[in-house]
Amino acid sequence: MAKAFKYGLKGITGYLEPTERELLRSLIDDVISMLQPEDRSGQDPLAALIGLDMDVAEPSDRAVKRLLPNVMKNDGAASLEFRQLTERSLRETKIGALRAAALDLDKDEIVLSAEGAKHWSMALNDVRLVLAERLDIQDEEDAEHVHLMQDWSQAEDVESYLALVYNFATWLQESLVQAMLQSLDTRR
Amino acid sequence: MTLSVALGPDTQEGTRTGTEESTGFLAAPDIPWNLVIWNDPVNLMSYVSYVFQSYFGYSETKANKLMMEVHKKGRSIVANGSKEQVERHAVAMHGFGLWATVEKASGGPGGNSGKSGGSGQGKGKRG
Repeated sequence: MAKAFKYGLKGITGYLEPTERELLRSLIDDVISMLQPEDRSGQDPLAALIGLDMDVAEPSDRAVKRLLPNVMKNDGAASLEFRQLTERSLRETKIGALRAAALDLDKDEIVLSAEGAKHWSMALNDVRLVLAERLDIQDEEDAEHVHLMQDWSQAEDVESYLALVYNFATWLQESLVQAMLQSLDTRR
Repeated sequence: MTLSVALGPDTQEGTRTGTEESTGFLAAPDIPWNLVIWNDPVNLMSYVSYVFQSYFGYSETKANKLMMEVHKKGRSIVANGSKEQVERHAVAMHGFGLWATVEKASGGPGGNSGKSGGSGQGKGKRG
């Protein structure tokens, strides 16, 4: 069984079983592949270099859209314009955090610096956002319903399996964030 | 790879150098804008509070108060400033996975106050 993250002399530490690490790695890889910008060979190389993407569109996949939301609530045109300027670098920021977390999965014991912990919390959050879209968690009631699923022997279909994975990621992120809040306290 | 979220909030208002004006995306500099965080059933309350503390430098008390406002009222204005400042915050919030939008502050200069901040939050209490 995984051990909750805790804050101590070495920084923030945690422990995951090999199967749990494999699971997290595949979840992280999935999210990375969703965020990987399309390779547009016709793109202006200078625009690409400075992060502009004039061909960008609002994501059609709900999970991707949750990862890369519109910046204005009721203004699709202004949101799209903002995407052209920022979406590529936002994708890269997220992929960077996800890759950093995946690298830490090479060892049983996870020892995180403040920066590493931030990357982990962002990565776990994005993993949870994607799983939540797949589980169709729309409101607090749906979240409660999914939360009830705690017993791995009950995993009989894809949805119950996804719910268990979601709950594992939630537990892991909560323990990590508690450790991060503790480390903020001691730095004050 | 740019980890732009590592940059803290820019609190220096009025130090606009003009170098970023060419994006054609900026409003008049003195119209205030708000950064709004929306509730969602996925983000952990502890995580939202952590982001407010670590990114904005808010105290635990202030961060928790804003987080509870998001949770209970559905949304909260967590920062304000020029359009480019709140847009930068919004991208950072999206980096953390929080659901953030920007909006023109109501009642600010410019006349067009839009909808008032409190609308749409009292669910069916009338009648």
